[in-house]
Amino acid sequence: MGRYLLRRLNLFLATSLALVTVLFITTSYFPVSKPFALSGIATPTTEQLAQIEADYQLNGNQLQQFIAYAQTRLSGDLGLSVTSQRPVLEELTQALPASFELAIVSGIIAVLFGVPLGVLASLSKNKITQHSIMAITLTGYSIPVFWLGLTLSLWFGVELGWLPVSGRINLLYEIEPVSGFMLIDTLLSDSAYRISAFKDAVFHIILPAITLAVLPFTVVVRITRAAMLNIMELPFIKAAEARGLHTGTIVLRHALPNALIPVLKNMGLMLGTFASYAMIVEVIFSRQGVGSWLVAGIYQRDYTVIQGGVLGVALIIIFFSILIEVLHNAYNPLSRKEIYAAN
Amino acid sequence: MIQLLKSIKLIAAMTPISLLLIACGPQQVPAGLVYCSEGNPETFNPQLVTSGTTIDATSQQLYDSLIDYDPVSGEFVAALASSWQASADGLSYRFKLRPNVQFHHTDWFTPSRPFNADDVIFSFNRIIDSENPYHGISQTGYPFFQSIGFTEQVTSIEKIANDEVIFHLKQSNASFLANLATGFSVILSKEYADHLLAVGKPEQLDRMPVGTGPFKLVNYVKNEFIRYHRNDDFWRTLPEFEQLVFNITPQSSARLTKLITGDCSVSALPKAGELPVIKQHPNLEVDTQLGFNVAFWAFNTQKAPFDDVRVRQALAYAVDKQNILRAVYQETAIKANGILPPQSWAYHYNKSSYQYNPEKSRALLADAGIDDLTIDIWAMPVARIYNPNALKTAELIQADLANIGVNVNIITYDWSVFNQKLNRNDYDSVLIGWNADNSDPDNFFSPIMSCASRESSSNRAQWCSAEMDEILAKAKATTIESERKALYQQAEALFNEHVPMMTFAHATQLTFKSKAVKQTQLTPFGGISFEHAKTIAITGEL
Repeated sequence: MGRYLLRRLNLFLATSLALVTVLFITTSYFPVSKPFALSGIATPTTEQLAQIEADYQLNGNQLQQFIAYAQTRLSGDLGLSVTSQRPVLEELTQALPASFELAIVSGIIAVLFGVPLGVLASLSKNKITQHSIMAITLTGYSIPVFWLGLTLSLWFGVELGWLPVSGRINLLYEIEPVSGFMLIDTLLSDSAYRISAFKDAVFHIILPAITLAVLPFTVVVRITRAAMLNIMELPFIKAAEARGLHTGTIVLRHALPNALIPVLKNMGLMLGTFASYAMIVEVIFSRQGVGSWLVAGIYQRDYTVIQGGVLGVALIIIFFSILIEVLHNAYNPLSRKEIYAAN
Repeated sequence: MIQLLKSIKLIAAMTPISLLLIACGPQQVPAGLVYCSEGNPETFNPQLVTSGTTIDATSQQLYDSLIDYDPVSGEFVAALASSWQASADGLSYRFKLRPNVQFHHTDWFTPSRPFNADDVIFSFNRIIDSENPYHGISQTGYPFFQSIGFTEQVTSIEKIANDEVIFHLKQSNASFLANLATGFSVILSKEYADHLLAVGKPEQLDRMPVGTGPFKLVNYVKNEFIRYHRNDDFWRTLPEFEQLVFNITPQSSARLTKLITGDCSVSALPKAGELPVIKQHPNLEVDTQLGFNVAFWAFNTQKAPFDDVRVRQALAYAVDKQNILRAVYQETAIKANGILPPQSWAYHYNKSSYQYNPEKSRALLADAGIDDLTIDIWAMPVARIYNPNALKTAELIQADLANIGVNVNIITYDWSVFNQKLNRNDYDSVLIGWNADNSDPDNFFSPIMSCASRESSSNRAQWCSAEMDEILAKAKATTIESERKALYQQAEALFNEHVPMMTFAHATQLTFKSKAVKQTQLTPFGGISFEHAKTIAITGEL
């Protein structure tokens, strides 16, 4: 196991290095002067310019420049945002919790509804139920997320007026950011409008979370169903049935935990798509978060935000993909056998 | 098995129900007003910029000027100066200052004294005195004051008493008071500035503002919101709202959606095409204010073939202005016949302006010996008050010019890139406009077509005429209105003869708002004030 973890860590470092290389090369193609693209300071004083040149080794050869670039970036110095002149890292850490909040709520919705529906589809002997569940998931899988988001906001927001379609909360509520998660911060706040603010935050997250949940939901349903169908045919389930165990116990205690292993694996594979969908959803529902921050940066030609945002988001995706893979292996004895066999 | 299915169904049924339970009960929202604004302010000090977005977020909300301009009566009214007096020769202006005006008490600064003459002197010395420690803090300079030559106008500002100052001018200047009444001429706190200098953070003066206005800044999150609280020490009637929030929403359609769903009660800079949507919603309405602005198509007169006046005239005759008014402005604008809008006191209806006439246009082109002409039109990528959709305007002009055999390429970039490239002055022609900063007619001429304005690159036609400069100087030197009016008529005639730019519209400033909000004030110079905003209960259908 130790060697395996070491190899995964290695993979993480190698991928990150490749990412930094790509960013380093593209940065030199930005249509602005190099010190500006790297630091975000538009009109540096002589001292600042000297500092930038020293930091990024601008007078050295390409290799020296690359090492200096990798060093500053990986040490957390992402430069200043061109538009706000605040450190990019600070803006990134401010935007991240909002995106995580949306992702977590969507993930919970997907699993909470996806797993039972998948189990239901696998257990049902009724063809109509099976086919309709499969038809729904296939439709959900094929719907473009931007269309779904716009349709939901048009219908539930504009036509019916049931739910708000933009932002994280009505801005009249003054919520001090503590954790950065609006749902938690509203409850932590000492404002007299605490409960109303929490409800408002819940209302604001419903439509974007549902929009974002559709893709993982359909994947969870399909994988759960396929896995359940497989497992229910296995001898140990037959044995349990023969021993006269209750179907509920068989499904919940014996079949489902095994069926969830492939679900976990597929969630890891889906992470990249999920992250880009999250960005689209953030833009459609004008929610604060990394996605809308990055898109605004692109519109405003904020070169340091673009670099910092891409680096941050990509590192997070790489990290979580590898984390999920490790978890998957830790949880699944079968794949552990493969690791040892490979060694 | 059946039991399991039942329990799953139960869970599935419970979740929406529990969500509905949360939804029950009345929603309590703190009192306040949310305004959907169109972008991030660049700074919180309007002295440093000319962008309308920044002015909206600062001048009317955070600060006060010495005097204000009342668009209804067309006169100057007292603000921080309770009275003022010009000397007979027009070379000095004496201001008596209002007593007991408090600066904002904020988290970052607590003032110990009320507003006095030192604050006035500091606020203007920062601009005119290059020795002032704050003069060089601004990275962008003081563009409005530079474009009107403020530093050259004012020789000194003298403190007579704690509540009295005198501005000494180099020569009599008819537009001086009008310039003081703009949203740029705000009063900052000298005590705060000294404090920041002492702690070594002078640049904070423009980012964490302290003013005397009806609202004070609480916090600002880029791309998200600006939050203001009421200034409880405000020297005029207190605003009704304890809280004012600018919800920053760059997309026009998103602003409209937020207005419909109630996320904001007032929304900025709508597209004219969205007007029908407002009519469908009984609780929304449109607020209009005739604007002091002009939209034009400027020809680069330094570049062939636009250096030939016949070509410029030909192009001006070729465009159907009425069509642009219909398609781009949806009839919300007034057709421009010259540079001044009809609300200006110096305006005079000008019959000889260019009416749509393709035959004449072709004849003029033939006369100039030009056939097979291809030109570039640069169109701004963003909506401004004077032109909500420059790209569409460019397409209409493209079609009109095809009629006279001129080919058009439309060029556009993102706004900041567009401005940078425009300043290189190698374009053929550009669709842009001008929003006046004050009521003085000079503001329509000096900043955009004087030789001096060519240096500060706000003269988009690159047109410099000694004759025009002479007329403008004469008009500024006299304070007799009838004489000035005649001079500005001469300037209009000269402009008309040379057509450095073809003007086509004076746009009406529009905002969408909820009917529950009353008395938000649009100013004709493109600002909005929430000082007097009120809410009323709407009965009937909501």
